[in-house]
Amino acid sequence: MKNSTFRDTLLIGKNELLNQLRSPMWLFFGLFQPIVYLALFSPFLKGIADTPGFPMSSAIQFFAPGMIIMNVLFGSAFAGFGLIAQLRSGFIERIRVTPVSRLAIVLGFVFRSPVVLIVQSSILVVIAALFFGLKVSVPGALLLLPLLIIIGITMASLSFTLGLIVKDEGALAGITNFFTLPLFLLAGVMLPVTFAPKFIQNIAKYNPFTYAVDASRSLVNGIFDDKAIWIAFIVFFILGILTLNWFIRTMRSAVA
Amino acid sequence: MDTSQAAPFIQFLIAIAIAWGSIYIGRLLSKGGSQGNLNKTRGKDSYPASFELPGALPEQELSTSVEEYFNHPAFSASQASQSYLSQSLNMIETHNLSKTFISKKKGKRSVVEAVKQINFSVARGEIFGLLGPNGAGKTTTMRMLATLVTPTRGTAAISGWDLSAHPKEIRRDIGYVSQVGGMQRETTGRENLLLQAKLYGMSNFEAKARVEELLTLLDLRAFADRKTGTYSGGQRRIFDLASGIVHKPKLLFLDEPSTGLDPQNRAHVWEQVKKMHDEGTTIFVTTHYLEEADALCDRVAIVDEGTIVAIGTPEELKRQIAGDIISLEFETPLLAEEVLALLGSSAFIVETKKENTSVHLYVDKGNENLPMIMSTLHKKGIISTSVALSRPTLDDVFLKLTGHSIRENQQ
Repeated sequence: MKNSTFRDTLLIGKNELLNQLRSPMWLFFGLFQPIVYLALFSPFLKGIADTPGFPMSSAIQFFAPGMIIMNVLFGSAFAGFGLIAQLRSGFIERIRVTPVSRLAIVLGFVFRSPVVLIVQSSILVVIAALFFGLKVSVPGALLLLPLLIIIGITMASLSFTLGLIVKDEGALAGITNFFTLPLFLLAGVMLPVTFAPKFIQNIAKYNPFTYAVDASRSLVNGIFDDKAIWIAFIVFFILGILTLNWFIRTMRSAVA
Repeated sequence: MDTSQAAPFIQFLIAIAIAWGSIYIGRLLSKGGSQGNLNKTRGKDSYPASFELPGALPEQELSTSVEEYFNHPAFSASQASQSYLSQSLNMIETHNLSKTFISKKKGKRSVVEAVKQINFSVARGEIFGLLGPNGAGKTTTMRMLATLVTPTRGTAAISGWDLSAHPKEIRRDIGYVSQVGGMQRETTGRENLLLQAKLYGMSNFEAKARVEELLTLLDLRAFADRKTGTYSGGQRRIFDLASGIVHKPKLLFLDEPSTGLDPQNRAHVWEQVKKMHDEGTTIFVTTHYLEEADALCDRVAIVDEGTIVAIGTPEELKRQIAGDIISLEFETPLLAEEVLALLGSSAFIVETKKENTSVHLYVDKGNENLPMIMSTLHKKGIISTSVALSRPTLDDVFLKLTGHSIRENQQ
């Protein structure tokens, strides 16, 4: 009988993924929102794409990369909901009483989000390219993947931790909306941040997602010398480690 | 946007990361590296200074039997912190185990002492029952012993391992089945058990073999390949038990194993528990079904409001209550009062207790004295609505020790 953190992480992660695959609706519902935005909102941008100061060559080149980040933000920020159900069913406790290391439990749960997000993001990019005329830089898109993974880990860890703390779906929904919506609106997904008044621009400077959206835009459009790319990587790498650590600590201490 | 303005933000984040990292590393170093932040208050140094090696015990303690000598908390406290005790010692030993929950609701800080300085030991091979009403601290005690909740104060040794220093070793030796079980409803019983087996470090092959063995042992094959969400309460409970013994633990914790089941399923669950016990597993069970505990436990501890009020074999505890119990019920509380005054001074009545309209008389030789009581009542023209003569039960013990019935607090 042998336990190793790596093996246990895969074991729990695989179990989580299989559970997710059992209800394929996640794929549809996860992608529903960004696709509706692409279809019904990006046409609005066509008129202002010619405005001086608009960052990209066309509306879709500007808007689709932002949708990828939006999907990652909302997709992983609600990861904690599943955890609350499992907390209630006693499954978490069943795992916690085994000799599996606490790190493996945490990584096993976090594991699912990036995998799901990569699948969703790939589908989203393909749909945007086929039906909305998005021109994608393949090396840029490939470089974007690791960024999506660390954003997914960060947001999922945050959501899991909050779920463990509040232990209530209603409260978690409130908290999640409280921070995701401002993060999303201030990240310049819908309209360029440069169009906003100065004070909004100043606030947006402190929103990590602003850099993620800028990085996504540059990478998908094949621009590699944008500072936002490495800023986004560094910021989310640090945030990822911080939130993961918080998750581990919360899991280690009593989860009543 | 203009990313050159991002510099202060990055510096800020990096500063946080460095500050956090140095605090973390500093803490690791001061702990001597290995334990991390796990045992902030419960290390070896948390034993009261007055506990020393057994050699320093008072003389009268030393003159007691060898078993009591080994059971002395000072012994386990001093030894457990080192590492593994010999196999001959108890499966569970607790020393002033306590848990205080602090909750903050609407700014008000409330302190709940769920478990207050509990001391007991469980021998290897025993079925030990923790009895008490809901909210008495049974589940918290069990969760502390199962490494799920960290004690506020006190120590315990499970299977010879110190609770705070060796949780991982303890987890290998114990199985734990919570009240809700913890099966994933969307997967089959077999898949649930396979996952559990692998979490205990078994290879695919070993896990499959062990699950097959369990399906046969507990007679689960008929519904093993259905989703657990479709199981009846009884079926699910047996699967919960199976998940607790997948790794053949030395000690099995069962939290209210038969709650919510009909009598037939309860009997079936207990049958399976006995099977595990026959294989040499020590069983630690909480329940508020006192009849079950009476019939099945080797020893029981009765807990109320976080403390142990009595501990011993069910027979020993019931012997505390003299003879038999005659319970008389009357139409009005006033009538009950009158009867109490009438009979209270009789020589054969050891103790009396009045509950609303009923009177409980603890008597020697109830069969001989019942006719006398009845004739006394008859002479006075008092008619009782019901009469019962019974042997004492654990519920009577509980009533006597705590002043309230275990059933009052239920629901």
